[in-house]
Amino acid sequence: MFSKLIIYFSYQLKSSEKYNNSKLFFFNLLENPRSKLKNYFDLLMIGLIVLSIFFLLYEVEHETGAVGGYLEHTVLVLFVCEYLLRFWIYSDTHIIILDEHERALYLNIKFSLIGALKKAVYKKIEYIFSPLAIIDLLAILPSYRPLRILRIFLVFRLFKLFRYSNSAKLFSDILASKRYELLTLLVFACLLVFIASVSIFLFENSAKSTKINTLFDAFYWAIVTLTTVGYGDIVPYTTGGRLVAMLLILTGIGVVSFFTSILISAFNEKMPVLQENRTFAELAHYKNFIIICGYGRVGQEIAKRLSADKQKFIIIDKKEQNVELAKKHNFLVIKNDASKNDVLLSAGICRGATTVLCITGDDVTNVYVTLTSRHLNKDIRIISRINSHENLNKLYQAGADYVIRPFEVAGMLAAEFLGQPVAFEAISGILQNQTEIVMETVMVSVGSSLENQQVDAIELKLKKLTLLGVISANPVHLKHKNKYQVKQQHFYFNPEPGFILRHEDILVVFGRKYSIDHFRDQIEQDRLLHRKKA
Amino acid sequence: MKQVAVFGYSRLSMEAVSRLDKEIYDIIVIDHNPAHLALAEIEGLKTLSIDFRSDEDLKSIGIGSTVETLFCFFEQDSENVFLILSARALDENLNIIAIVDSPESAEKLLAAGANKIIDPYEICGRKIHDILKRPDITDIFDHTVFGRHDLHLAEVVVPEKSYLENSYASQLGLSARYNLILIGVVNKQVNDKLDFVVEEFDRKLNVGDILVILGPSREIRAFKKDVENEFCKI
Repeated sequence: MFSKLIIYFSYQLKSSEKYNNSKLFFFNLLENPRSKLKNYFDLLMIGLIVLSIFFLLYEVEHETGAVGGYLEHTVLVLFVCEYLLRFWIYSDTHIIILDEHERALYLNIKFSLIGALKKAVYKKIEYIFSPLAIIDLLAILPSYRPLRILRIFLVFRLFKLFRYSNSAKLFSDILASKRYELLTLLVFACLLVFIASVSIFLFENSAKSTKINTLFDAFYWAIVTLTTVGYGDIVPYTTGGRLVAMLLILTGIGVVSFFTSILISAFNEKMPVLQENRTFAELAHYKNFIIICGYGRVGQEIAKRLSADKQKFIIIDKKEQNVELAKKHNFLVIKNDASKNDVLLSAGICRGATTVLCITGDDVTNVYVTLTSRHLNKDIRIISRINSHENLNKLYQAGADYVIRPFEVAGMLAAEFLGQPVAFEAISGILQNQTEIVMETVMVSVGSSLENQQVDAIELKLKKLTLLGVISANPVHLKHKNKYQVKQQHFYFNPEPGFILRHEDILVVFGRKYSIDHFRDQIEQDRLLHRKKA
Repeated sequence: MKQVAVFGYSRLSMEAVSRLDKEIYDIIVIDHNPAHLALAEIEGLKTLSIDFRSDEDLKSIGIGSTVETLFCFFEQDSENVFLILSARALDENLNIIAIVDSPESAEKLLAAGANKIIDPYEICGRKIHDILKRPDITDIFDHTVFGRHDLHLAEVVVPEKSYLENSYASQLGLSARYNLILIGVVNKQVNDKLDFVVEEFDRKLNVGDILVILGPSREIRAFKKDVENEFCKI
């Protein structure tokens, strides 16, 4: 009966929107590393901890009065709340119970409430004994009056900072990864300290003018010597004591250097992970970036141009050499296989990326990455490179929007250059923005002064611009000649003077960059002016 | 007929050769790989297997005498450099176009005597960048000038005694009369640089100047015919 009630209650909780929402809110606030709320909360907590430690230090010599008391209470309440909330969101007791219940139903065995509860409680205990939870508790406990002696543990609040700072957390992770080595070293060091302090105590205790009167003094001396600090406040006088000192100093150097080398090697091992984390953290701030898969010759060329444009991008490549090169240029790079779903996902294909470039030298890889990208994001623009002609259709089938054929483009340019070198240089100069003359598009927007104008009425010649043509999808223009189908639109080359512009037509003009900009600005100003009048 | 020698037959050479007008250019393909030569033969090209390292062999195909243009399309930069050095020594005025594989070789190829180097990777990178930055214009040019549609770039040299001589670039009225757009003029007397029409409007044309025009091929042909006809007046 009682267990039925609990199960009923659990189902209620599971379906309760309010409960789930509030739990989600606190999860976002406390644990979710992607949420903004957590950032603010972490900052607040860091501030509070520093403030409370400051008051603790101030209190040692001064009277703080009521303000200090209030602060202490606020901090304490907040800490307790935080501790309890974390305790709450660590696991879902009702889900555990329901899982057990459903399992029992499925297997047709008797549901044991005790067993389910045991599991749930075990989960909670797991939380209580997690290192960070212990630190949290130690930060709270000393405020309890009867335990005033634990005041020193208030400093544990500083350890709480670990929770709120990623780099500190990383440091502890690194230490944890070398647990075995550090433990071995610790055992060895303890043994050494024990032997040294016992023997120095035996040798020195009986000597005249000795300072080692207790075992604690010997222990203190051993630590100071082992760590190569050597204050010199306690020195051995007997030959035996000095022998012990000599041995301890030599082994001490070994212990210290061993410890250092463990730390350094641990950091070295974690370095790639650290850098990757930094990459992802930086990527999270970007919007409208480009994913470049493959940092070969083509990728390098594109990256160079994009970085000159201040366009954000991320490179994925699995070759060590290419990754190193990208790092040298300070580009964001992930060393991994771009054909894996999770790699593309973590590169942000569904979050902020606008375009994927599949430009490795291998057609099979390009097709596979294209397919993967299209599968992950239906709307993203994919530009792929193909090296051998017969694979062209495969790439379009895989979902590429554009396919580039480097060798064919280059071959074509070679032929053009042979036939018409001057024209070729001119047009490639314009297209690549190498000259001061550029070719750009100007959009006829709704309500702009260009709308319903005849082409010759714009007087582009006076503005030192040449109109090359008009791009339009508007069927009104279809009667004009010189039209060229370009995808879903038409390009009207050299339109007649009577060509009437409609909205959403695009003018293709060339001229100096600033004439074009000026022209564009004028149109925009006109449009705004008209709108005001209207 | 202008003689073109193509060294190295790859996808790139195939594309370049297929774009050349076979009625104007006499093309010969040289490669040390028989499989490549077989491919070229399928396309109906003249092929030869000679040792490009030997000056005698180069002379035998007409380098230094009849060959006007040399395509160095070997895969190895070192082979291309060697070929360019030999060919340049044989003929001062040879037009040499070479591809480059690694970027640091570009300077070496130029120093060896290439007139133009083509870096397929750079072109590809530039192209993708264009698609990203200016999709509209890239689309137009891909489909028209560089594609199948009939819209071409052309160069017209101002011949002696034509009506173009001493007329002004602004008064040509190419867009109304021929449906052509004048992009720019190269003034041969000053330098080889192209002046864009939009810049210098009142520009008197001289013999030897080159007009760069854009338009359908029919119109280009009509314009060229009129220019060469010294009795044509406008």
